[in-house]
Amino acid sequence: MSLYPLPVRLNLYSMSFIDPLYPLFLVTGFTVGFGHCIGMCGPIVISLSLNLKDKNRFIPHLLYNSGRVVTYSILGGVMGATGSFTLVASHIAGIQKGAMIFAGILIILMGLAMSGLISFGKVFGDSYNPGGFISRGFQRLSRTKSPAAYFPIGLILGLLPCGPVYTALLAAAGAGMKAAGPLEAIITGMGVMMCFGLGTVPALFLVAKLADMGWLKKRELIYRIGAVLMIAVGVYFIIKGLRY
Amino acid sequence: MIEVLNLNGGVMRQGIDSGGKQHFFPTTGVLKFAGLVIIMIGILIFGGGVALNPAIAADTTINCDAHKGVCSQSSGDLTVALEITPRPVKAMQDLVFKVSITGASPAEPPHIDLGMPAMKMGPNRVALKPLGSGIYEGSGVIVRCKSGRRTWFANVIVPAAGEVKFIFDVIY
Repeated sequence: MSLYPLPVRLNLYSMSFIDPLYPLFLVTGFTVGFGHCIGMCGPIVISLSLNLKDKNRFIPHLLYNSGRVVTYSILGGVMGATGSFTLVASHIAGIQKGAMIFAGILIILMGLAMSGLISFGKVFGDSYNPGGFISRGFQRLSRTKSPAAYFPIGLILGLLPCGPVYTALLAAAGAGMKAAGPLEAIITGMGVMMCFGLGTVPALFLVAKLADMGWLKKRELIYRIGAVLMIAVGVYFIIKGLRY
Repeated sequence: MIEVLNLNGGVMRQGIDSGGKQHFFPTTGVLKFAGLVIIMIGILIFGGGVALNPAIAADTTINCDAHKGVCSQSSGDLTVALEITPRPVKAMQDLVFKVSITGASPAEPPHIDLGMPAMKMGPNRVALKPLGSGIYEGSGVIVRCKSGRRTWFANVIVPAAGEVKFIFDVIY
């Protein structure tokens, strides 16, 4: 048994916890959030918002974004540990493709649920029986009355393939290569991605806020038009996922 | 000023200006609706437009065929040659960037900033190490953009001498 305390043995004190990459990627996340992320995750956020209708919307969006940031952080940790972006990226490519298709299906389902064209109720938060034509995963999510359902959605959709996310992962892998040890590599990689993810949150909260229009949800026609647009976006996601 | 109910059930404010001409001011509800429509259209344009035109990169003129070999660009007295290997140049794989500089003797090694002309992708810098005789080399990765756009730039920055931008297509 070593006489040194655990932090010393793990070389924690020599680590640069405030890596310059952290503020750099926090700002990067913030700036790309208002361009790239709104285009990529905007339809999903709008879908979540519109489906929540009169419910408390802050907590579900917070959980969705938390899920995303957790996934980013885990990916960052893996990137840091391996120090190889291309190695990890090639292994998760299939999962990302699945995440994109999942996102497309999710948006379409929410669009259909909102439109009233197919009357199977609300996808999240209400009593809803999909009648067996939707996968079990969706059934479980749909039966969950707690906003906690939005956390796993965020976890899964954090895997969506995205250029700026790749760039941040590249930096995480690079930081891992430069780290003094495996633990520092993992922590630095996670830190880079966590900062990046946190930076993207304000943009998505803004989209959520703009979509949270109580007056809009009272106008059925507008509501249905929005639902049709969401279905179109969902189809786009699926096509892109299949081609990815 | 009075409020009237329009045909769609929305409330419009009706006023009469100094010339006696009637005009209408939309209520905040109408403005909110317009805002949401703009967001939706924006999202569809971003997604749909990109889907229909995956290779379009606005305000971009490709000045380098990186798949064929060395590209050369000049800026003043500075001339920079860039070679990316392996070829063809593909995204999401380890690439070697070889830079040859003439017309300047930088005190520090140059570096390359990679990005897309049409989209912010975050900082992606390739550090270059000197090999001698004005030749530098470094490794990096061009990441894949989900939009399908394939045009990237490599901005070679030579400290105290200037910078040269190479714009090229990559393969996804």
